[in-house]
Amino acid sequence: MSRFIRWQGLASFFVVIALLVTFVYFFADSLVKKGIEKSGEWYLGAEVNVNDVEIKYAPLTLNIEGFQATDPEKPTHNLVSFSQASAGVDVWQYLFGKIYISELNIVALRIDQPRLTLGEVYAANDKGIEDGSDGADESALPELDMSLPKVDDLLNNSDLLTIKHGKALEQSYQIEKDKLNELYKTLPNEDSLAIYKEKIKALSNTKIKTLADIDKLNKEFKALKKQFKADQAIVKQAKEQITASKDLLSKQTQALKDAPNADWKNIESKYQLESVDGADFAHLLFGEQAREYFGYADTVYQTIAPLVKSSKVDKEAKESVSGGRFVHFYDETPLPDVLIERANFSLILPQGEFAISGKELTHQHWIRGNKSIVEVKSDNVQGSGELTLALEFSLDQSHVLKSDGKWQLAKVGLKDVSLQESSAFNLTLNSGLLSGNGTFSLLDDQLDSENNFNLDNTEYTGTGTSHLSTLFIDTVQSLKELALTISAKGQITDPELSVSSPLDSQLKKSMVKQVSNKLTGFKTDVKAGLNTKLTEALGLSSEGEQSFVDVESLINDTDKALDNLMNSDVVKAKKKEFEDEQKKKLEDEVKKKLGKFFG
Amino acid sequence: MLSLFVKLFHALNSESSTRQISLAIALGFIVGLSPLLTLHNIAFIFVVLLLRVNIGAFILALGFFKGLSYLLSSLIIMVGESLLTAPSLQPLFDTLYQISIFKLAHLHHTYTLGALVIGCLLAIPLYFLCNYLIEKYRIHIKAFFDKFRIVKALKASKFYSVYSQVSGQGSLS
Repeated sequence: MSRFIRWQGLASFFVVIALLVTFVYFFADSLVKKGIEKSGEWYLGAEVNVNDVEIKYAPLTLNIEGFQATDPEKPTHNLVSFSQASAGVDVWQYLFGKIYISELNIVALRIDQPRLTLGEVYAANDKGIEDGSDGADESALPELDMSLPKVDDLLNNSDLLTIKHGKALEQSYQIEKDKLNELYKTLPNEDSLAIYKEKIKALSNTKIKTLADIDKLNKEFKALKKQFKADQAIVKQAKEQITASKDLLSKQTQALKDAPNADWKNIESKYQLESVDGADFAHLLFGEQAREYFGYADTVYQTIAPLVKSSKVDKEAKESVSGGRFVHFYDETPLPDVLIERANFSLILPQGEFAISGKELTHQHWIRGNKSIVEVKSDNVQGSGELTLALEFSLDQSHVLKSDGKWQLAKVGLKDVSLQESSAFNLTLNSGLLSGNGTFSLLDDQLDSENNFNLDNTEYTGTGTSHLSTLFIDTVQSLKELALTISAKGQITDPELSVSSPLDSQLKKSMVKQVSNKLTGFKTDVKAGLNTKLTEALGLSSEGEQSFVDVESLINDTDKALDNLMNSDVVKAKKKEFEDEQKKKLEDEVKKKLGKFFG
Repeated sequence: MLSLFVKLFHALNSESSTRQISLAIALGFIVGLSPLLTLHNIAFIFVVLLLRVNIGAFILALGFFKGLSYLLSSLIIMVGESLLTAPSLQPLFDTLYQISIFKLAHLHHTYTLGALVIGCLLAIPLYFLCNYLIEKYRIHIKAFFDKFRIVKALKASKFYSVYSQVSGQGSLS
């Protein structure tokens, strides 16, 4: 037997095992402490400190005292810290490859607290988690520029279409007038026509004695007709020009007539005069705050989602370190890879202390068929406010996150909340009591949330830079209570916010009433001014139009006179006269000769 | 490390049974492929210490095959994955999964099971291959070196006889 068995080897084995167990027993606390610090630093890229770790073995409980994780982007502060945490770990399940924590308690959990010493940063955080308030810049509120300009300044503004079109019409009229003047100079005038008439008359008085005289007359008349045709061509050109000019001026006159209405619309739009009727006052005042709070929700989602939503991160980490994965089979009491059965946190924020409890926290809800449940309670929000929040979430096997929740808030005192800071006006809510309730649901990354708020006993202060903005502030200050509904729908990273409130109609009524007189006066003045500009410009065009009519009439008369001259049949008449004369002469001669014959 | 090589060299040249060395290498292969702190590895180390196998050869083989396991890790995971997810083996694993020691040994982990199966399957031919190679070494290569005058002179020297007595390995011949 001893040929094959090495008894001293057996002893060595047990000695080594005993040494290992002893080492683990005595140094486990330090090893776990170092493990937490190093793994935390590897994950965050910044210094992680743990004051003390204590491990109890029956049952296995891990106690962590004084945990601080430096914010890599702000090393003077901790990203998260807590004074004490304890976790009851199931050793068997841990040895089987699962993390099953029956109870996790974290006391005095704090976020973004200053550190006593500057934390070391080892690597830049490239997770790209956006700050919750980033969206606020994108949704910069429109400034309610309600200061109305002076009517005279407005009417002298060269950008007004009425002025532009008036000037254009004036210029066009001048150009067309010059063109016509040039043509007018080339037109046969009254003297020319008189000369033509004289010439025709002279031709008519010409004595025709022989056929040669008729030929000569015909030649002279043709030469005269040639001149008439040349003049008629000039008249035709003048007619075409006057038609084109009339068309152009007619179009520009129509544009000028339409200009005052277009100008008023532009003025309304520029000075937001129409927005008094349709302004979304609630969104204007509370939209930024709502966006900021949904920004925080987005930050929380972005931080937690990769950890809970999919175990991909887990799997990749395991594969990159040791390779492979656990494959789990049918189990009478199946357990997820990671399960925290009960958790209790006390979270301390500047807004108050919150007691958070969780049940069945895992990322593999389908294994046990239970949803994770989280409850948040506080009775000292902003002093004496009460908050209750309940949410449940679950992930299915395709890693689609489903979450539903509701919240209720009561008696939350608000102090010095800046509602608006713009060049148009500043408005601060000095004090008020906030209460509200709401629901939210999340399907994958699609958010659907409806939230109702009530503000009572409100006190506001504010300053406006214009008469209208001052009126607006006065109206808000006169309201002692306020109801507000904020809904958010769409992708949680960029939800579409809708803020509505009876405040809108209240403010609209008050504002419209208060501004209507001023606005009506302004509107009347501006429109009257525009109409005057129009009348002036149209008056100018009327004069131009009359002169065009005069010229056109003259051209038509000239054309007619030339036509008459052209059609005057001098040659034909003279020819007939000559023929009649010759005929008479012949008859006289015949009579004379026949008289002699009959005697 | 150098002393380990020396020990292996001694073992190869000594009267130690070739089977003792081959078994140590085969066991080193199984343990080397798997993650070190697994239940089955502790069992194999227990066997190595208990049985009269050459510990130097075991440690050297363990180190060598541990390095090799990094190169073979994708193959090991693939074997483990295909075994654990094979539909025909589901009933078997369902039964084994109910036994705590199966889960304690992490045999439901693709790498651990793959390494154990490859290790156990290839350990047998490796054992016989090592037997064959060590015998060939002793017959041919050792005899070849023993023919050199310098080796003969060394062996005949007083220094070598003292060294042999001190090291307790006996004669090299």
